[in-house]
Amino acid sequence: MTLAVRGGSTVKAYDAIIIGGGHNGLVTACYLARAGVRTLVLERRDVVGGAAVTGELCPGFRCPTLAHAAGPLHPDLVRDLALHRHGVQLTQPDPRLFAPLPDGRGLVLHAWATRAAEAIAALSPRDAKRYVEFDACIAQIGDVLRDLLWRCPPSVDSPTPNDIWQLLKSGRRFRGLGRQNGFRLLRWLPMPVADLVSEWFEGNLLQAIIAARGIYGMNLGPRSAGSGAALLLQQALGQHVLASATSATGGLGAITAGLAAAARAAGAEIRTEAEVARVEVHQRAATGVTLSDGSHISARTVVSGADPKRTFLDLVDPADLDPSFVLAVQHYRTFGTVAKVNLALDDLPRFTALESASASERTAALGGRIHIGPDVDYLERAFDASKYGAYSEHPYLDVMIPTVTDPTLAPNGQHVMSICAQFAPFALRDTKWRTARTGLGDAIIRELTTYAPGLEDRILHRQVLTPADLETTYGLTGGHIFHGEHALDQLFTMRPVLGWAQYRTPIAGLYLCGAGTHPGGGVTGACGLNASREILKDLGKTR
Amino acid sequence: MTGRYDAIIIGGGHNGLVTAAYLARAGRKTLVLERRHVLGGAAVTEEIFPGFRFSVCSYVVSLLRPEIIRDLDLPRHGLEILPLDGTFTPMPDGDYLWRVNDHATTRREIARHSRRDAEAYEDYGRAMVDMGRFVKPMLEMTPPDPMSRDPRALVQLLSIGNRFRALSLQDQHTQVQLATMSAVDFLEQWFETDVLKATMAASGIIGTFLGVRSPGTAYVLLHHYMGEIDGAFRSWGLPRGGTGAISNAIAAAAREAGAEIHTDAPVAKVLLNKARAAGVVLENGDYVFADTIASSVDPRLTFLKMVGTEHLPDDFVEDVRRYKLRGSSGKVNLALDGLPDFTSLPGAGRHLRGAISISPSVDYMERAYDDAKYGAFSKRPYVDMVIPTLSDPSMAPPGKHVLSCFVQYAPYHLKAGNWDDERERFGDCVVDTVAEYAPNLKDLILHRQVLTPLDLEREFGLTEGNIFQGELTLEQLFFLRPVPGWARYRTPVRGLYLCGSATHPGGGIMGASGRNAAKRILKDWKLPGT
Repeated sequence: MTLAVRGGSTVKAYDAIIIGGGHNGLVTACYLARAGVRTLVLERRDVVGGAAVTGELCPGFRCPTLAHAAGPLHPDLVRDLALHRHGVQLTQPDPRLFAPLPDGRGLVLHAWATRAAEAIAALSPRDAKRYVEFDACIAQIGDVLRDLLWRCPPSVDSPTPNDIWQLLKSGRRFRGLGRQNGFRLLRWLPMPVADLVSEWFEGNLLQAIIAARGIYGMNLGPRSAGSGAALLLQQALGQHVLASATSATGGLGAITAGLAAAARAAGAEIRTEAEVARVEVHQRAATGVTLSDGSHISARTVVSGADPKRTFLDLVDPADLDPSFVLAVQHYRTFGTVAKVNLALDDLPRFTALESASASERTAALGGRIHIGPDVDYLERAFDASKYGAYSEHPYLDVMIPTVTDPTLAPNGQHVMSICAQFAPFALRDTKWRTARTGLGDAIIRELTTYAPGLEDRILHRQVLTPADLETTYGLTGGHIFHGEHALDQLFTMRPVLGWAQYRTPIAGLYLCGAGTHPGGGVTGACGLNASREILKDLGKTR
Repeated sequence: MTGRYDAIIIGGGHNGLVTAAYLARAGRKTLVLERRHVLGGAAVTEEIFPGFRFSVCSYVVSLLRPEIIRDLDLPRHGLEILPLDGTFTPMPDGDYLWRVNDHATTRREIARHSRRDAEAYEDYGRAMVDMGRFVKPMLEMTPPDPMSRDPRALVQLLSIGNRFRALSLQDQHTQVQLATMSAVDFLEQWFETDVLKATMAASGIIGTFLGVRSPGTAYVLLHHYMGEIDGAFRSWGLPRGGTGAISNAIAAAAREAGAEIHTDAPVAKVLLNKARAAGVVLENGDYVFADTIASSVDPRLTFLKMVGTEHLPDDFVEDVRRYKLRGSSGKVNLALDGLPDFTSLPGAGRHLRGAISISPSVDYMERAYDDAKYGAFSKRPYVDMVIPTLSDPSMAPPGKHVLSCFVQYAPYHLKAGNWDDERERFGDCVVDTVAEYAPNLKDLILHRQVLTPLDLEREFGLTEGNIFQGELTLEQLFFLRPVPGWARYRTPVRGLYLCGSATHPGGGIMGASGRNAAKRILKDWKLPGT
């Protein structure tokens, strides 16, 4: 499918154009192409994958540049697209999470709750018992929410019979929880996660581990109401009380590479270094896109994997939109708080909390996620700084060492370390990120060194990505890794804007498929899958 | 008072008295038992210092339900609301923000800070009125139980759902935002002026242990706006004779209807007979019997102290224990020799007749919260002041004044030290804070009363010093207030009801809880077998 462009005159060659080759865009491309829709994916950068990419950190060292763990992907998706045939080998490390304390104690938590409880018992026998209960209870509650995630939200103004049927089904499932868990769900949604964990656990570290999931990627502290909803959303997506540590051989980029391969195999065309400058609209209907090099590509269906603000405030001419809609999009909150630091290390860091463990245990413990944040107050203080436009001197860190599960990413015996740090507010008050970058990197390393002495001497190379970089390099407006806050008023039928949560937009033929739609951020493919379903419906190609 | 009654109300706060009044009007033999020597609970006027009378705790009124004023004919019983016009916010840079009820004036004033905000102010007011219209009917409603198999509950829930769907998309979203957003995030959708956002957001944190930037605070904005849309009186006001006058008027109405009201009558225990309420034992050992008991004190006192956990289901007890009562505010009452003089707007102008708010910036408010989060009172607190003597000279000797300062944050649980040692330091900190804006204040002070959360608990029976008998946060509202499954004023003990602010719709001198509970009780009396 080649395209001749002369003097701006365009040759119609595609049914659908997908803006952005992030994982959601690629998932949508796969499903469209599989349904026989002539699909073109346009990626601004020289590599597809969006925030789920594996990049070269320095010669010989490759690491997941931004996201370092998948959502995880929905099994249907993995099966439908036969990702294994496109070279995707998922890795599921166990133990799943390691959380050190400054005093040399710590927790190594296996995925299996009863096994994790054994470790917890060392710090608090009571918590060990409660952890197993909590795991069962939140799993039940999460499952009720879960089947809302992989479906298009109902229409609020004119629900279809199917919408109502689905809502009734969800209602029955909700009541199926029974009084206790039913009321738990109602209470937890608006609750600060700090209160939630203190109702269950006495141990500071365990409290912090669970609470951290409620603030991950968010502009919230554990004491902020709504962090409970964020926790339940993570639970519903990940179906596990602990954050998912799923990745792939070759880093997270291998998953998006696999998706791209699957899309191509299904007949989609993917172009990199093809930046869309404008979505062409004629009489409130999308007619195609114009690239930054000025060339036009026509298609009656345009699907944006970019976030809602970028799509409606940059790519679309506001004149084509209703002012109240534009206002709603402007008020959509995308204030990012995550910074990323990637390190090349000449050896595995030695955490004091693992000194007593055997060499093999030590390595295994570092295969999953590493949680730095000893107690809830620590997390809250980390958040305080960002409220006043400064980054945390003592940040909450979510760390992974992908080379433990996949040595091919670095030269023999050497490692890469991937660190997500909160809080680093997108807008600094007294300075710019250009000048604050080094200080942020140092603060993060300093904090990590108190748990793994000597770390700084092992660093061969360091890369610091500030929220500003996340916006400029990866097109995440406000540097928000979820394309917008997972706040109660920005979820489900209200994501991104109430009345426009069904992946369609006020412009006919223009769709959203990115994390700025229901059910939101994380490398799950849910947004892309749900979007493709709606698009195919409109194209009359329902399977 | 020994003997038998149809109903006994524990606590003579305004809600308890409202319940009593409605029950008595229905011809029931009703008894009110108040622990203190004076009626009113937190809506009380006392002569703390000779000649100086204070609305000791609650100090302004706006939320009191008009239907209660009507039903109980409160004006005839001496209720008179004096206007409290506007809010004056002095700023450290010598400027100020002064909003009054007259829109034109306020518009001009806000335009001084930002033309855009002056425009938005109108829209905002209109939006809040619409939101209030949606929520108000819910104030009078007994919350349905979402988990019950009772079809009526589902019908009620559906009707709420339909009323919601009847709203415009825009209003629907605003409604959700009010329920979930932070006061500041919510206000930022309209305004840019920092001091305006800070002062408006302030009403979103009163009585909660949250900051202006904590999601969930937008709801309390609306809760406090509700009063401004009631036909009875459109804005905040001061009852002549202090907030105690409200309680006294309600008490008078109750007595007239035949209710018996006793002060200095602390209840020790609720008597049970086969898991059913049978009466109460007073601390002096007296027994009083009734098949219906309505407790206007908070759930912790009612169930853990007066009923006793042994008579209650374990999961219910657990829910009561986890009910959030974290007090976050204190009160400083000052007897003054004259009027404070604010550097930003000198003289005894009209600006002193309204509320005076120390809330110069959003960060100021948020920092005040940060101190409290980690267990210390705010070094520079949010202070909301009124000088009732300007509208009601009877509150102080001629030429003298009383200054009532509501202060946040003052966490009930201090990380270091205890409130008995910190009390005066807290008082000093409040006076210093205000004196930064009105330097002559310190020389004016004749007497000073400092009420810490601990004092509110000891004196007024507000557990952990929470002025709303429990935080107004989403997970403790409507069918979740006070505890899931028991939001319908009934309790696991048959014949025992809750009628205080710990029930839907919650705190403030509103009376809705007391009225709803009375309606519930009267309904149940009609039912067979109760």
